[in-house]
Amino acid sequence: MRDGNPGSNVVSDSIQIAIKDLKVELRSKNTLNFMLLFAFLTTAIFSFSIPPNIVQRSAPALLWIVFLFVGINGYARAFLREVDEKTIDGLKMVARPESILFGKILYNLSIMLIIEFILLPIFVALFDLQVHDPVLLLLSVTLGNVGFVIVTSSLSVLVIRSRARELLLPVILFPLLFPIVTSTISAISASIVAGSQNIGDPLLLILIYSAVMLIVSSLTIEDAMSE
Amino acid sequence: MCAGETMEAAIEIKDLWKGFGKNIVLRGVNLKVERGEKIAILGPNGAGKTTLLRIISGQLKPTKGEIKVFGSVPWKMVEVRREIGLVSHSSYLYKDLTAMENLKFYAKLYGVETEIKDVLEVVGLYSHRNKRVSTFSRGMEQRLSIARMLLASPEILLLDELTAGLDFEGKDSVLGYITENFSDKTIMMVGHDFEELERICDKGILLDGKIKAIGSLSEIKGIYGVSD
Repeated sequence: MRDGNPGSNVVSDSIQIAIKDLKVELRSKNTLNFMLLFAFLTTAIFSFSIPPNIVQRSAPALLWIVFLFVGINGYARAFLREVDEKTIDGLKMVARPESILFGKILYNLSIMLIIEFILLPIFVALFDLQVHDPVLLLLSVTLGNVGFVIVTSSLSVLVIRSRARELLLPVILFPLLFPIVTSTISAISASIVAGSQNIGDPLLLILIYSAVMLIVSSLTIEDAMSE
Repeated sequence: MCAGETMEAAIEIKDLWKGFGKNIVLRGVNLKVERGEKIAILGPNGAGKTTLLRIISGQLKPTKGEIKVFGSVPWKMVEVRREIGLVSHSSYLYKDLTAMENLKFYAKLYGVETEIKDVLEVVGLYSHRNKRVSTFSRGMEQRLSIARMLLASPEILLLDELTAGLDFEGKDSVLGYITENFSDKTIMMVGHDFEELERICDKGILLDGKIKAIGSLSEIKGIYGVSD
């Protein structure tokens, strides 16, 4: 076997896979357009349906519901597309399973950031939200989304070959997303309503939970991906 | 191969079983392929030829039994998988990327600095390098798939219906290139065209769930012709 093959670097392979996925997505726009449209529609429906007097209290949960709907449908696509186009087997022959997983996470994080930076100002404007601390709001939403992306990307590997994968994924995901969802909603509430007090604990929980999920998924990805 | 490294067989398979649910495709395959051997795999449809190649390439994990490529388990080690070039029914190419982008992506993952222009010229696709794969015909996609395999100069070539979709000129050029440039490499080739198989392989196996016969290609041709 070749010695010192520079291609065996997990970090650079992950970046290459993420760049490739972004290139494919920006060219086909199959997922991004759908996710943005879905996000706008859900936000618009919520903004018309929620009475103004409860907006400040319900906004964090509503915002997170929008991200959940959009993410569950969108983030799994990164793996599903590889399986549907049968490119996953070619990828497995040249890249470590961890590189593939991290590549997909990086790609989903990029998509998430695009959606977040477009959706968040629109959400705040449509709901006429009075944000106490915009920086903390951005931090809470971003960290929550990072955790969400890690969990979704990791778990989507488990269902990619299932026939009922679109139904199976949310069933597996929701219980495991529970700590992220509750912590992010607490953090967003604190940044909108009660200032920065009590925001440290939920953010720390998101960080720890995301790190644990990342470690567990990187240790199990090889078996999860083998047929 | 480093000096001093032990010379294991290129491929060693012991009592290999593979099933998909209740469908058992391979039933106790035993095979040893030495370095540099060129073996044609023959057998009827559903005999497990593609499954066997996919297990050797590390894409599939055996249900039971042992598979080693250069002494390592291919589905566990990417370093081993990178030594294997596989051309199969799937091209493993990204339809929304151009021919050049696909090859550049794979070259980066292989960690090779192969001149992509040369590889594209070998398969006759250089003038189509900036076209998206989605606009390619089946034959052009197969040529690009062959280019993807050639990129890393693999030690083992697994060729499953290598020339499917290629025109006469394309077949001749690809077979000629492989014969010329991979004469010292290990090759396992699945196909139904004896003329093509004979250009590359000298040995053959008859597979139908398990190995029914092994010998020179002409012997296997005789047995397969009778049993078919």
